[in-house]
Amino acid sequence: MLNGVGVKMASLRRLGLCLRHIKPFISNGRSVSTSRFLQAEWNKDWKPGPYPKTPEEKAAAAKKYNLLPQDYEPFPDDGLGKGDYPNLPIVSEEARDPYENWDMPEYRRNYMEPMHHFQNITTEDKWNPNAKPPFPYPTMILTLVAVVSGFFVLFYLTEKYMPIHQYAMPRQYPYNNLYYEKGGEPSQAIPVTKCYTFEPAEK
Amino acid sequence: MGNSMPWGPNLPDPWKPPTFEPLYGFPNGRKERVMIATEEEMRMADVPMEHRDFCAHLFIKWLKCRRDTFPQGSKCKHEKHEHDYCKFEDQVLRMKEYEREKRLLARAERKRKKMERRPKEELEE
Repeated sequence: MLNGVGVKMASLRRLGLCLRHIKPFISNGRSVSTSRFLQAEWNKDWKPGPYPKTPEEKAAAAKKYNLLPQDYEPFPDDGLGKGDYPNLPIVSEEARDPYENWDMPEYRRNYMEPMHHFQNITTEDKWNPNAKPPFPYPTMILTLVAVVSGFFVLFYLTEKYMPIHQYAMPRQYPYNNLYYEKGGEPSQAIPVTKCYTFEPAEK
Repeated sequence: MGNSMPWGPNLPDPWKPPTFEPLYGFPNGRKERVMIATEEEMRMADVPMEHRDFCAHLFIKWLKCRRDTFPQGSKCKHEKHEHDYCKFEDQVLRMKEYEREKRLLARAERKRKKMERRPKEELEE
């Protein structure tokens, strides 16, 4: 703290400390809450801690996430930054009991209940990994493939053997079937096509 | 109009022009269809390709009426009806061509079968 920047930083920090004392009187949201998580002030405060290695660290992390020590199992330390966040069994909201007296019925979640890492994709309108399919998945996929390919087979067979079209010949166009309009070259021999009515010509 | 499911042998292909000689069966020949609008007129009026047929002069009249009375296109009912009626007549002519092709194909098949039958009778005799 010998240079000028350090002095400035120190004064800013002092100002921040003063504001922290004034803050409860200004905003009532955080000060009233008794939740431990909501005491976080900045995004870095929401980050999980470092990966626990010793049993003491594991117990501390389990207490931090409101879990029993035997239930706590962190994510593997694979460098993806999950830290000490618990690897919970995935139970989607749709799979939970809708008639239970949840603290938060809209999320089917109790107060201070640890959240799954992928909680945002297992909400009620999204993925339900606990769903029990009415039929096995290979059966359902094979049924889909069979029905769709059956439609294609029907289309092919009807198109080949029972074509639907008008009882009419193709349209007739003047000027040798619009030879020049369709980009014909005048130098080449023009294929002469004549269109006739069904009236017999006079003698 | 005329959508149907043809069923049976020797049916004409509706996507290809007639295969028989157009004047076959007309001893004095047939009247040619009259094209009124010239290529230059159709090009000047910017008529779409699918409308550059034997009703193009009525189509040009309808376009002109619509341009003159814009935006009251409903004043061109008469021109529109004339063009539609011309298209209807064209469709009727195409259906007649289909029927002619179908009957001539059946006739060719009858003739072929007759030719097949003839040598056998000669052999029996």
